[in-house]
Amino acid sequence: MREPVAIEIAELRKTYDSMDALRGLNLQVPTGSIFGFLGRNGAGKTTTIKVLMGMTRPTSGAARVFGLACDAQDSSVSIRRRTGFVGEDKELYDYMTVEEIIRFTATFYRRWRPDLETRYLKSFELPPHVKTKALSRGARTKLALLLALCRSADLLVLDEPTAGLDPAVTEEVLQVLVSHVAGEEMTVFFSSHQIAEVDQIADRIAIIDRGQTLVAGALDDLRENYRRIQLVFGGDAPHATFQSRGAGRVRRKGRVLTVLSSAGSDAILEEARRLQPVSVDVMPVTLKEIFLESVAVED
Amino acid sequence: MLWHKAWLETRSRFLIGLAVVVIAGFGIMFDYRATEKLMPFARTIDPSTIDTSGPLGATIRSALEAQRDYRGFVWFQWFKQNLANLVTLFAALLGSGGLVSTAAGRGTLFTLSLPITRSRLVGVRAAVGLAELFALALVPSLLLPLCSPSIGQSYSVVDAVAHGLCVFVVGTVFFSLASLLSTEFADFWRPLLIVCLVAMVAAVVEYVPGISPYGLFRVMSGETYFRHAGLPWVGLLISAAMSATLLRAAALNLAHRDF
Repeated sequence: MREPVAIEIAELRKTYDSMDALRGLNLQVPTGSIFGFLGRNGAGKTTTIKVLMGMTRPTSGAARVFGLACDAQDSSVSIRRRTGFVGEDKELYDYMTVEEIIRFTATFYRRWRPDLETRYLKSFELPPHVKTKALSRGARTKLALLLALCRSADLLVLDEPTAGLDPAVTEEVLQVLVSHVAGEEMTVFFSSHQIAEVDQIADRIAIIDRGQTLVAGALDDLRENYRRIQLVFGGDAPHATFQSRGAGRVRRKGRVLTVLSSAGSDAILEEARRLQPVSVDVMPVTLKEIFLESVAVED
Repeated sequence: MLWHKAWLETRSRFLIGLAVVVIAGFGIMFDYRATEKLMPFARTIDPSTIDTSGPLGATIRSALEAQRDYRGFVWFQWFKQNLANLVTLFAALLGSGGLVSTAAGRGTLFTLSLPITRSRLVGVRAAVGLAELFALALVPSLLLPLCSPSIGQSYSVVDAVAHGLCVFVVGTVFFSLASLLSTEFADFWRPLLIVCLVAMVAAVVEYVPGISPYGLFRVMSGETYFRHAGLPWVGLLISAAMSATLLRAAALNLAHRDF
């Protein structure tokens, strides 16, 4: 039976010595979604993933995958049995060949897919008898992806899967991911600070910064709801704040005042008209702008 | 397959260790011919005339008394000294490293993403390491009864097994200590150096009057077996219990560790 929510995180906190890596993170990843987990370097993405995979224990709060607690040893093993993982470092066993590490990994998964193994070995052009330490970073990423995809996993957790790859390999990896997910019933949770790739393949996103969720939701909804409202005045723009729901950062530069709204533009427009601007423009916002605005608000 | 992984990770240390102990074992065996020529001179020394009030005198007297025949020579040179030292060193080497090691190419996060408990990882690694240690202690020892006829001597298989087991059981203490330390320190060298330091302290402490009968290295040499044909059961049981406790502590430490 498939759970409606693949990942559920509530008030998750993780403190290393005196440093707070996660500060009450909240997140829900619906089953079947391709979920982009965006954040700057050091935002807490890798720590969150490590908690989900049972590699790190949370200081407080709850993290559940398939309804199972991530910090309990037995349920963590059950989670990992149903989860494919590609770590940020892409480190495999240097002393094994490609073929050896595939055989090694396959023994842990009853639903291992030899058909996918053959397909990806061929399409990724991975040399079976070469030691993994001799592979390029791109080839190692592809091998790590093969090892994750052939598990018949219900969930794929990828930590910066394309970090350090050239654009051609990045595109190849993303295409494989998208086509694989299209053919299999699975949830993908991947972290990145590459906005373009999240925009390209994700249907839901969360933006986190300093261990907290700033924005989360379906990408289409975010694109629909986020608007930049630009007001131009006859003289210098007034110092103004907006009280409407969704009103974000206000920027004032000369005669121009811009405000970002996360809840459409109607309410803010009504407020803005009271300021008597010469002109009002409502513009759509890209994911990059949403990200930069969200992260900048925290600054 | 975890067994295979643990074997691949430790095989070079094990094979080097095996080569070293086998060569050293043969070296001791063939050295007996040269020692045999000195025996007439050695026998002219009356052990009772040696001042045994200090540790050095006691050691010299003990060495002279023990090595009057081939059995005593093998016990003193091989089981009491060379094999004990080498197994201690390679036990520390085999126990060091592991999951916490930050050395490149270890694939720590990949291992942790597999559906296995950390206790099982520790267990399999310990089992493979202990099997290798067993081979290091027993293989060269069993070569002695096999090869001694080539120098015109004989050595009992039972003696070889008994002494080899003593060396192995006490060696597991050093292996387990290195395993525990390796769940705490991310580098390879600190566990190794600390275990070597502990072994040196344990060896020196045995010279303290009153402690010697209970010392790890005395149990390791199987001295009671050599002198009285009785295995040091208490010492062996205590050593085995210490190893089990240290390995359990290693598993618990690893289970609570963040990566």
